[in-house]
Amino acid sequence: MKMLCVLDSPQAVQENKEHLTAQLAKKAHDMRNALACIHQFGNILVDGLAGDLSDEQREYVGIMLENASTIRKVLDSGLDGTSGLLEEATNKIDCLSKINGQGPI
Amino acid sequence: MRLLVVDDNAALRKGLSVRLRANGYEVLFAEDAISATTAIVMERPDLVILDLGLPGGDGFDVMERLHKSDRLANPPVVVFTGCELAGNRDRALQAGAAAFLQKPMEDGALLSTIRLALNMSRDRSPFGESSTSC
Repeated sequence: MKMLCVLDSPQAVQENKEHLTAQLAKKAHDMRNALACIHQFGNILVDGLAGDLSDEQREYVGIMLENASTIRKVLDSGLDGTSGLLEEATNKIDCLSKINGQGPI
Repeated sequence: MRLLVVDDNAALRKGLSVRLRANGYEVLFAEDAISATTAIVMERPDLVILDLGLPGGDGFDVMERLHKSDRLANPPVVVFTGCELAGNRDRALQAGAAAFLQKPMEDGALLSTIRLALNMSRDRSPFGESSTSC
């Protein structure tokens, strides 16, 4: 991944931002598909569509589904780049500190 | 009722088929845009569950081909995708999708949307077109 630099042209910065947004969207897409599988098959097991579960088995699958829901909430909160988080992060770069060598950006 | 599931992810196709068959639906499959279009024409499903990211085109291509064909024979399309909402949702609904669902989705919500889309399709007048946006 290319690092953003304040000395890059505005066009280069914009292109890099778009590249990062596309990468985030792709990763979020892949995670959503994987989560959908966990969700689907977990519920198939819980609902007994693949046979009866013991109480212990049902508890374990329930824990898996709860954690899948947690990951989904993280995704829904904006990891796929729809919430403008990347834009916000880019805007928070302290250009002056970078130019003066006063600290990390 | 015959449903066509279009998704390039084999595990997702299998999971959906188990759930849909348990709810009384007959399930057909396609794993890319071209075979999806062929299956819609040849098999005449009552509804299509369509992923957007597909080999050989994408879900929008499939909807565009449907749009250009005999509209009265077009089954309702429920888009079910891992793609982000921004842009894709509005574009899919404008392309004629009855609903846009983002993965992962509660099974109950998916089944309700399928039932609603099938009912709306059944109620559609042959001389007019009702709104199909959920």
